[in-house]
Amino acid sequence: MNHAVTIRNPGLMTLIVDLGRNGYSDVGVPTSAVLDEFACRALYALLDSPDTAVLEVTGPRFALQFHDDTVCAITGARVLAFLDDKPLRPWASFHAGSGSVLRIREVREGFRYYIGFGGGIGIDKVMGSYATNLECRFGGWQGRPLVGGDILTLTPAGKAATRYFPEDMIPAMSSPHRLRVISGPESDFFTPSSLSAFWGKGGAEFFTVSTKLNRTGIRLEGPPLHFRDEAPRSIISEGILPGTVQVPGDGLPIVMLHERTIGGYARAAMVARADRDRLAHLRPGDLVGFEFISLEEAADQWREQKKTMDDFPALCR
Amino acid sequence: MIVQPYAENALRIIFGNSIDLKIHDRVRRAFFICRALKHQYILEIVPSFCACVITYDEDKTSFAELADLLRERLLDLSAVEMPPPRVHEIPVRYGGEYGPDLAFVARHCHLSPEEVIARHTATTYTVYTVGFTPGFPYLGNLDEALDTPRLETPRTRIPAGSVGIAQRQTGIYPFESPAGWRIIGRTSVRLFDTTQSPYSLMEIGDKVRFYEVS
Repeated sequence: MNHAVTIRNPGLMTLIVDLGRNGYSDVGVPTSAVLDEFACRALYALLDSPDTAVLEVTGPRFALQFHDDTVCAITGARVLAFLDDKPLRPWASFHAGSGSVLRIREVREGFRYYIGFGGGIGIDKVMGSYATNLECRFGGWQGRPLVGGDILTLTPAGKAATRYFPEDMIPAMSSPHRLRVISGPESDFFTPSSLSAFWGKGGAEFFTVSTKLNRTGIRLEGPPLHFRDEAPRSIISEGILPGTVQVPGDGLPIVMLHERTIGGYARAAMVARADRDRLAHLRPGDLVGFEFISLEEAADQWREQKKTMDDFPALCR
Repeated sequence: MIVQPYAENALRIIFGNSIDLKIHDRVRRAFFICRALKHQYILEIVPSFCACVITYDEDKTSFAELADLLRERLLDLSAVEMPPPRVHEIPVRYGGEYGPDLAFVARHCHLSPEEVIARHTATTYTVYTVGFTPGFPYLGNLDEALDTPRLETPRTRIPAGSVGIAQRQTGIYPFESPAGWRIIGRTSVRLFDTTQSPYSLMEIGDKVRFYEVS
């Protein structure tokens, strides 16, 4: 078969993603978007293939074989990657020859990494997106994670030069994670002392990422937030956003990701948009600390980061 | 009506703080108006029980600008001509393998299973919002005689079409999914289809009636 790759080993989990399924949240359709947009946009720039379907991989031992000469790149978590026996530079594109095998030996920093191909993966969009809605089994690759033996057709692309992403711009991804947050709509449900323990102002406490994490949300363990006596323990369900920090009755925060449009728990905080991509790299056992910033600061940071991402095509050379 | 910032690129329009058909009607009107604006900088509108959340393109507009526009357009909600709500008649197989919690609900409510079914099918429900999973309608208000708490431990997997109740609400699970509501029956009606527009059978404000089939 021409222009294709065969998945030899999907690692812990491999999903097809893109920038998300937008415009249907009024009927409950979540975006299922790539969790690390920065890494995804870097991949697009390295491959000169914007808005294509890419692989979001968790865990080591991922392997795939190229059927044909192909341009490929890896971004996201820092991995030890080999093309046959040749070590690969991370956050760079490379030429893979027909029959060669890409292997990920180790994930050194971060959690999720992204693999893309010049021209992109040749699948159809579902409701305007390539992203996989894993829970409802649609989009992506037959609505499911990839398994060994799956053959992905690639969209042929012109010859591309290999490119590098500037090393000093690769974000840090290791624990402890510092996440800036803005105030959530129900932050006043909580006692001032537990809020300052939660988000700083002289002594924020660290939470530990629990094993209860998936693309829907990340449960944290640590000092519980205390509800004020008069505050309700839940809310009438309302629209939530990726990065919303929900707090159920037990006081332990859940950071929501990209698979829910509404929620019924008190929203203590929202992870600042500029720090949201870091959520892709929280691993069980990692430490997370929150830091309160104003909405204005958050908007400024995000504006700056977006400007940076807009410059990616010029920065990758 | 209160318009509040929510995030760097999102705002909330709040109409109240209770599950109430009057508040619902205002949310629905606001949602239809916002959608009809076809405003190129409005990216997502999520209507729910008491509020609409709007996500916008923050490069092209600002909270202040959009909030001003919305306050002006949503000033007189009652003046808007609304389409009549669609009515969905949903066949349900109650009890047994289709509704494993019917017996529990009957015991909890001191009713016979037949009385539970009779009360569940007697109400014309309103779709307050659609969410949880794509196409899942939150239907109210359930007959207060059927008020039953959620499961303490949600089931990890229930079949598509399962009809559940929780407190004063009922709903239909469009996909095989985890479920914390008490499952009393199942329908063969497809609530969500990614290959056909409109993808979701139901939207906010639709009316739903259940009827029993064997």
